[in-house]
Amino acid sequence: MEGEIRFILATDCGSTTTKAILIERRGEEYRLVVRGEAPTTVEAPFEDVTRGVLNAIREVEELAGRRILEGGEIIKPSKGPDEGVDIYVSTSSAGGGLQMMVAGVVKSMTGESAARAALGAGAIVMDVIASNDGRAPHQKVERIRRFRPDMILLSGGVDGGTVSHVAELAELIAAAEPRPRFGSGYSLPIIYAGNRDARGIVKERLGADTALEIVENIRPVLERENLGPARGKIHELFMEHVMAHAPGYRKLMSWTDVPIMPTPGAVGLLIELIAKRDGIEVIGVDIGGATTDVFSVFKEVFNRTVSANLGMSYSVSNVLAEAGVEKITRWIPFEVEEIGLRNTIRNKMIRPTTVPQNLQELLMEQAVAREALRLAFEQHKSMAVGLKGIQQERTISDVFEQTATGATLVDMMDLDMIVGSGGVLSHAPRRSQAALMMIDAFLPEGVTRLAVDSIFMMPQLGVLSTVHQQAATQVFDRDCLIRLGTCIAPVGLAEEDEPCMKLKVTLPSGEDVEREVRFGEMILIPLGVGEGADIVMDPVKEFDVGAGRGKVLKTTVEGGVVGIIVDARGRPLQLPERAELRMRKLKEWAMALDAYPRLDLW
Amino acid sequence: MRRYGRRAPYATEFIIGILLLGTSAVQGEALSGPAPVTQVVAIDKPNDSGGSVLIRWKRSADDGAGMMSVKGYEILRSVEREKGYEHLTVVPAGVEEYVDNTTVDGTSYFYIIGATDGVHRTDSDPVGPVMSSAQWFHQGRLNMLIATVLLSGLVLWFINRAKKGKKLYIRPIAGLQAVDEAVGRATEMGRPVLYVPGIQDMDNIQTIAGIVILGRVAERTAQYGTPLIVPTSRSLVMTAAQETVKEAYLNVGRPDAYNPDLIRYLTDDQFGYAAGVDGMMVREKPAAIFYMGAFYAESLILAETGHSTGAIQIAGTAMPAQLPFFVTACDYTLIGEELFAASAYLSKEPLLLGSLKGQDWGKAIFIAILLLGSILASFGHYFLSDWLTTGSL
Repeated sequence: MEGEIRFILATDCGSTTTKAILIERRGEEYRLVVRGEAPTTVEAPFEDVTRGVLNAIREVEELAGRRILEGGEIIKPSKGPDEGVDIYVSTSSAGGGLQMMVAGVVKSMTGESAARAALGAGAIVMDVIASNDGRAPHQKVERIRRFRPDMILLSGGVDGGTVSHVAELAELIAAAEPRPRFGSGYSLPIIYAGNRDARGIVKERLGADTALEIVENIRPVLERENLGPARGKIHELFMEHVMAHAPGYRKLMSWTDVPIMPTPGAVGLLIELIAKRDGIEVIGVDIGGATTDVFSVFKEVFNRTVSANLGMSYSVSNVLAEAGVEKITRWIPFEVEEIGLRNTIRNKMIRPTTVPQNLQELLMEQAVAREALRLAFEQHKSMAVGLKGIQQERTISDVFEQTATGATLVDMMDLDMIVGSGGVLSHAPRRSQAALMMIDAFLPEGVTRLAVDSIFMMPQLGVLSTVHQQAATQVFDRDCLIRLGTCIAPVGLAEEDEPCMKLKVTLPSGEDVEREVRFGEMILIPLGVGEGADIVMDPVKEFDVGAGRGKVLKTTVEGGVVGIIVDARGRPLQLPERAELRMRKLKEWAMALDAYPRLDLW
Repeated sequence: MRRYGRRAPYATEFIIGILLLGTSAVQGEALSGPAPVTQVVAIDKPNDSGGSVLIRWKRSADDGAGMMSVKGYEILRSVEREKGYEHLTVVPAGVEEYVDNTTVDGTSYFYIIGATDGVHRTDSDPVGPVMSSAQWFHQGRLNMLIATVLLSGLVLWFINRAKKGKKLYIRPIAGLQAVDEAVGRATEMGRPVLYVPGIQDMDNIQTIAGIVILGRVAERTAQYGTPLIVPTSRSLVMTAAQETVKEAYLNVGRPDAYNPDLIRYLTDDQFGYAAGVDGMMVREKPAAIFYMGAFYAESLILAETGHSTGAIQIAGTAMPAQLPFFVTACDYTLIGEELFAASAYLSKEPLLLGSLKGQDWGKAIFIAILLLGSILASFGHYFLSDWLTTGSL
């Protein structure tokens, strides 16, 4: 199929905007041609998602000079050089995306696995119900009734394990008589992915009143997770039940060549694909107005979390509440009154489409973004963990260091790349601002590449990868990512201005740049997009850049629109406590990266 | 100074004495006996419970020097200064101190020390009166007093802090953190939890610690709805375990789930018990096994069998010889004091937390003092090590 395809149309129906992209094969490679967007039309008065899709496609038609629509339908396959497309794919997060509840016997075991399966499929997990969650049965029933999820994933027990606990959970769900959000005339989809010995009893309890689907156990044994079948079924049911009952989606589904995917699920799929293809460890983040999604691939394990109450517009006040004023003001390089900051943030919440009008507002917004990203990443680290409850092999050498299971998989020193997405990162006035925000929030260690998604087309490319992997990866490499450069951050602490590393960069021109890096400073070494430089880092004995404390590391780094950023502020990052000194340092760092205009005059 | 002469008991000695008398002037001095002791002091023996007097003197000029004639010192005691002196004992030459442990408190005594060469004795002036009595405070134990006050103060201070709601950091103990995980595993697998509280009776502190931890494990099994089997090797331990588990099930609101039949007595015999527990492991296939208490040679037999059944195993013992076996065969092991710290760690009770924290700080301070004393002693300064051993500088 891949060989015949020349023109690809992809849309992403977001909560507020529907985005369409047109991809064309030029010679041997696929490239992005144009992008169009229009308001999403799921809500009243239109209540038909296809209207927004058609509007976005019309914009693409105008910009590309290509006729794609005929009588309100997409022309497929393409007819000649100026008409139609060969594939049409779409993702959707309209109407709040896919909202799920999951249930498992033990919260930190099958409960956590069920949550990972749902999150990985692109859902928002509203609650995790477990036998040991400390709530009384009536409270659990009340939660299920109140939340009205789109779908419930029930798991529990290894194969051949507990049946009674699973039966108890099934009875709780049955007692709640859950009703779906959309469509009153159909039964709520429930996926059972637990102990195979309990299938009979689950069918008996839930089979009659719900749309029960049974898939393979997500934890056939405690030592292994098997999330694929459950995720596949979530996608399937998302299409059959949730999307089919959302306004206009039945028509949209008839247009697409592959099933519509939940937007975050598609992004996760793309990130997983890229990590696998390049053999790298990646973190991806999408900071939206209401939610922040974090994706990661470490040790070949993909994880996704969604922080449903951390965002830059609808949820911005919640960022303030969770992080606290102090944590936000610590990133602002000027005196700001608490009331002023609160008002700016609240204004953003009630007027979500506004953008900062001056540099002060921009700095405040970006300070909030740092904290939102940091908090979302903290949540991600606590979810992206190894399996719990597994038997360990010990030797006598473990006598004083008995590591526990369930440690986080996220290892910042091993991390190769951070990809940022979302308005505050992708549309930052200067790319160095996006780089600085990501460095401050994620605190990468050692050598880490930084990139942002230029126009947020990862969802479309994710769903496209299921049908045309080559096109998806080529467009991702060439048009989707804007490479910011590479961050080099030695790990360790020292006194201000003490030498922490010697650096020798051999630029593509052959010129050598040698620097002694001092603790507490940031340095920018320009290196263009597509360029590489050989670098030798010789840290002092208290610092580690990836080869071990005090050990020399030789490697090649990638350039970008920002360049090589040397962050010698130490890890863990400790901002000066004295406000005056902190503000001076923030300005110094921003000026080193040329992130803001005329900051020195403040 | 008076000289109390003494008649020679044997004629031969007397004749030799007469013969020697005329030989020289030096020999003439020998007739009057050795030089007397000097600086005689008799005091009530300090830091005791009475009934003893300490007598000190400077030895005779002829003891180890001069005529080299002193063979010993005779101790004489009387209740009157002038008369009635009775022989107490003779101490060898070179000794300058004697403790009379035969005094009656409240009675005044006088002492005379007589330097003797075997023939003659030269007595000191009487010293006294001296009266023995008991002391309230043993000054040699000042170091212990300081240590006790310091330790108690630390414990009380930390308890107070804990009661005020201050968070007291306690190093995470992986074995205890894994309790939930082990019980969770048993729940998911639909299998029981097995708890082995050692083979000693309730008079063993390790068994008591094991029973405290059993309470916590029982709360978890009650919450998770997982059966808990406790085989015991002592009847008293069985009773204590039953009460503990029953209370735990009540605490979490699941008294209905408590089954006393699962807490059983097997046998007092060490290997009979080991065989019985092994049989349970093989038959019931528990998914989580706890060994908390005192163990001997049966430790590896139990832990190996448990490992072969695929269970998560958490052990805790203060028996040093058994620790290597548990470390290698179990998933987590509480080592020595960790077993005793477990109750504080698990319950988070201010009283227990404060005590634990205070004791740890006390230990840290004592280790620092010992290290400092060793370093000073290495450089020839012994005042700290002396103070630590004797209580006096």
